[in-house]
Amino acid sequence: MGLEHFAPTLFCGTNQKGIKIMARYSDLEYLKLSKWDKFLYKLGRFLIAIPLGIGHFFQKVGRGIVSGAAGFGRGLKDIGSTFKNGDGITKGSFVVMGLGNMARGQFLRGILFLLFEIIFIFYMVTTGGYWLSMLPSLGHQGPMEEYNPVLDTYSTVYHDNSFKILLYGVLTIFFIIAFIYTWRQNVKQAKITQEMTEKGIRLKNGKEDLRSLVDESFYKTLLALPLTGILIFTVLPIVFMILVAFTNYDGAHDGYFNSLFKWVGLENFNTMLSWSGGSKVYSATFGEVLTWTLIWAFFATFSNYFLGMFVAMMINKKGIRFKKGWRTILVMTIAIPQFISLLYVSKMFARNGIVNGFLLDMGWIKQSLPFWDDPTWARITVILINIWIGIPYLMLIVTGILMNIPADLYESAKIDGASGWKQFSKITLPYMLFITGPYLLTQFTGNMNNFNVIFLLTGGGPTNPAASGASGAVGFTDLLVTWLFKITTGAESKYYLASVVGILIFIVVAIISLVVYNILPSVKNEEDFQ
Amino acid sequence: MSKQENYDPSEIKRHMGMSAKNRISNTVIYIVLIIMSIVWLAPFVFIVLQSFRVESTWMVGYVVPKTWGLDNYINLAKTDFWHWYTNTFIMALATAVGQTVIVLCMSYTLSRFRFKMRNGLMRFMLILGMFPGMLSMIILYRLLKDLNMTQANAVPGLILVYIASSGMGYYVSKGFFDTVPKTLDEAARIDGATRAQVLWKIILPMAKPIVIYTILTAFMGPWGDFVVARYISMNTPAGMNVAVGLNSWLSADQIISRYTMFCAGGVIVAIPVTILFMCLQRYYVEGVTGGAVKG
Amino acid sequence: MASVVLKNVVKIYDNKVTAVHDFNLNIRDKEFVVFVGPSGCGKSTTLRMIAGLEEISGGTVEIDGEVVNDLQPKDRHIAMVFQNYALYPHMTVYDNMAFPLRIQKMPEDEIYERVTHAAEILGITDYLLRKPRALSGGQRQRVAIGRAMVRDSKVFLMDEPLSNLDAKLRNQMRAEIILLRKRLDTTFIYVTHDQTEAMTLGDRIVIMKDGYIMQVGSPGDVFYHPGNLFVAEFIGAPKMNTFKAELVKEDGEYYVKAFGSKLIADGKRGEDLKAKGVPGQQIILGVRPEHMFLASDGDPNAIECTLEVSEMMGSELHLHAITDDGTRLIVRVQTINLTPEQRKSLEIGKRIRVTFEGKVMHFFDAETEENILYPYIPEEV
Repeated sequence: MGLEHFAPTLFCGTNQKGIKIMARYSDLEYLKLSKWDKFLYKLGRFLIAIPLGIGHFFQKVGRGIVSGAAGFGRGLKDIGSTFKNGDGITKGSFVVMGLGNMARGQFLRGILFLLFEIIFIFYMVTTGGYWLSMLPSLGHQGPMEEYNPVLDTYSTVYHDNSFKILLYGVLTIFFIIAFIYTWRQNVKQAKITQEMTEKGIRLKNGKEDLRSLVDESFYKTLLALPLTGILIFTVLPIVFMILVAFTNYDGAHDGYFNSLFKWVGLENFNTMLSWSGGSKVYSATFGEVLTWTLIWAFFATFSNYFLGMFVAMMINKKGIRFKKGWRTILVMTIAIPQFISLLYVSKMFARNGIVNGFLLDMGWIKQSLPFWDDPTWARITVILINIWIGIPYLMLIVTGILMNIPADLYESAKIDGASGWKQFSKITLPYMLFITGPYLLTQFTGNMNNFNVIFLLTGGGPTNPAASGASGAVGFTDLLVTWLFKITTGAESKYYLASVVGILIFIVVAIISLVVYNILPSVKNEEDFQ
Repeated sequence: MSKQENYDPSEIKRHMGMSAKNRISNTVIYIVLIIMSIVWLAPFVFIVLQSFRVESTWMVGYVVPKTWGLDNYINLAKTDFWHWYTNTFIMALATAVGQTVIVLCMSYTLSRFRFKMRNGLMRFMLILGMFPGMLSMIILYRLLKDLNMTQANAVPGLILVYIASSGMGYYVSKGFFDTVPKTLDEAARIDGATRAQVLWKIILPMAKPIVIYTILTAFMGPWGDFVVARYISMNTPAGMNVAVGLNSWLSADQIISRYTMFCAGGVIVAIPVTILFMCLQRYYVEGVTGGAVKG
Repeated sequence: MASVVLKNVVKIYDNKVTAVHDFNLNIRDKEFVVFVGPSGCGKSTTLRMIAGLEEISGGTVEIDGEVVNDLQPKDRHIAMVFQNYALYPHMTVYDNMAFPLRIQKMPEDEIYERVTHAAEILGITDYLLRKPRALSGGQRQRVAIGRAMVRDSKVFLMDEPLSNLDAKLRNQMRAEIILLRKRLDTTFIYVTHDQTEAMTLGDRIVIMKDGYIMQVGSPGDVFYHPGNLFVAEFIGAPKMNTFKAELVKEDGEYYVKAFGSKLIADGKRGEDLKAKGVPGQQIILGVRPEHMFLASDGDPNAIECTLEVSEMMGSELHLHAITDDGTRLIVRVQTINLTPEQRKSLEIGKRIRVTFEGKVMHFFDAETEENILYPYIPEEV
């Protein structure tokens, strides 16, 4: 293999035999390697697995697209053959939706199809067409000073509303997609009803259709409400905000009262990411905030994880009494709404807060400690307080898992002569990591977006003077999300920049999730510990 | 020869060594646990103590009040606090009901039904979850504003926001439903039950722990929510919840006169939630541990 | 009470795995049919398709003359007992058994009648107010059967109902199922991986492998006339011994050559070979352990082998031996028939000589593993 030639060959002190990282060892060959070589080999395989995993993902996406396209092609072909082979009624259903169902006795379905078609056409004619036609321009006429002959004054008259155009334009596109889907279903139904009638199979009537909504199609009933909510309150806003990233929507261009906003293409991404010219401050700020966000997420996740595990094991240790009591004390702190504890603790560490007061009184310090004023102090304090917040949760989770580890694993380890530490490192920890792998990932991405802790503790401060050119008062403890929040609420309200940041957060989270999912053992070998 | 004499003295010593070692490590653990308990409880004790402080309404460098009194609690009545409290309470109740219904619908469906779009739907929601929710706030604010559900009328708007997207948080309860054997559904269906009857008569009565867990977390949400409530109420006191309202008391211009009242308000907020939580603790613990294990 | 007809039934899972291939079976009214086979052979899938718990990918299932492919389980008028009992944990035994009746909105006093009647038959009257978790495995299984019994169902389905019970209880419940069947007098379809259960319970046995039916027949049929090597080895315990051998036709007589011995195929087997005019060929020879015995000293055609393991089962001995060319075989010997000398000679490592009669031989095609005498010629009475 050509690759082998370039692969780094690592030598190990004892056997002077190089191990090949790029090559694959057979199981028996691997077993013969020394401990160190095994480690190197595994590390190598792990590193190789990352690009492979990502490649694999894109391969999958590619295959998905190909099969999707093939499916689409098949769909078109099916529509064609339905039209060709269909009788008059089936052909008629292509124009009058639901005709096939109605003509063959399925009135309820037919009427619903027809009703949907009527509503759709009515909507498109009355308003939908307008929104759609305005979507490419986002409005022609902004607010204007116009002469009002009745009052004999000049007053501002408002015309197009870019915000509404974008919003309802998106909604109209959703509606069109829904219509195409429904139309396709209508064609399918026309075909099926025709076939079944020809074969003499009885069709379901409306009553049976309704009854199936609490039986075999019960899932449709159950999902209707949740999915509508998600569509309107999650999908729509996300699509809208992604689009905003390609406009110049901000406080000054609010689309109605001040002036219209318009499409600007990739300009905003250029502003945020380019390393040259006046916008360098954005990319520099972004880099800095992203770095801190990742550092924070790493420490916040793993400090909580390991310390929580440690606490849980202490309480769980044989011979420790009042187990329930200790747990209850910690769990109680979960009950108290976080904003109270966070705001209060934030004030405790203020320059004139209790902590400094106590330390000054004791004479341990001469001056108040700059918990929130110095960048490094602030960052460390935030992580420490987050431990205080997080340990009770982790303790709970870990306790639950510890109790689930089969006792015979420990018994057999003891018989094999494993010490307490060995039992931890060879049984408890691997088991934990295996079971909580996905949880750790969600914790990590959750911490990246942990608005509450940062915002309520520091508000992002202390302010970073170097980033003053960037939108919002960026501070040293600001995460990408809190920065995003500041951008949208600042005086300028640069929504377009906020959208860009939001999209970038998504990309970072998605990449991390993708990499981790590809190497997580619990995703790959689900049965290992069963 | 009796067995006793057979013991090797060094053996006995070793046993003593073991138990002595154990005693020491246990003592260390007790000390650590006691210190931890103090660290974890202290801030809450401090809040309570400071809420009774009369001599100064601002932050001071000591904990135990010099003059005790209920002034701060009495003064709360002169502010918007009870208004915020009612707002939050209404939202918590409504959210508890709505969110529970939606989460249970979603999680039961994804656990039990194998329909065509199921995997696609789950993947889609996973991807949606990777967008920062904050991003949606701008447009949700504008949408709700058009419906006159912001600022002073923020309560219904907030309820809508809390409930509408809650379908995304189906993981924990789906994990629970996955542990309920599928043969129970199948047996009931063979016994003549429709899918709806299976859910209503068989699964829900068994799912008490997860229902209570969902209600509890949904109920606690609005008490602690800060971001959404702040965005939708947009600086209008009439529409705030306790978190936003009390936070406004800590702003630079108000903290001098309101700090101890903040503590008093915090205590009043914490008491009912904590009591409820402690009563239902068992279910919460089950849900949290189960959820993490299931992933 | 109804017939169940499966025509060309196919099950293909979403991952394109075909679990059941072209399954055809006609189950008569009041018949007790057992689906048996190793795990993953598609027997449970077939049962679940009849029940309506799995979608039918192809073909039709008819119950009582009606195609039920598109009917929900509740509309098929069937009752089913599950391996893990599937009792509703939040309901008492009484409520569990009353559940299917309450769904039908039957009057409560009639429900009472039926449930208590069934409980009496099954001997669970004392536990009616207990929750399932307070019951033992056997009691739970009775409740599950009771819940299925109280309804007037056309077909009674059982999916490995005894697999979760211990060996003793299993034997007892097996006998009770036979009694239950007499009492209910309805169509039964029973799934198991245990050939003993299949043999003792079924009117007919359907032996399956990898989604295909290997043979359908009465217990006697599948035991004495296995259609192929798989069925031959699956039915009967310990399993049938098989040897590579050659079938030779000489002067109109059939002989089997194996281990240097030459055994004549006589009795019914020999007649059938002659009647079918089978040519001489390479075969796999099958002989059941209970049909082999220790050869007398002078027997020239005995098989020489070395005793590896001797299992004392009480009334009989299972001798595991290995021939000189490495073929392993098992011989079941009635202990009562052994002479003291023979008993002495049966020590591990000793040479033993075994043989069998011509009428007990099974001949399988060396390539296709099909029984070369299948379908067999019925004996004239």
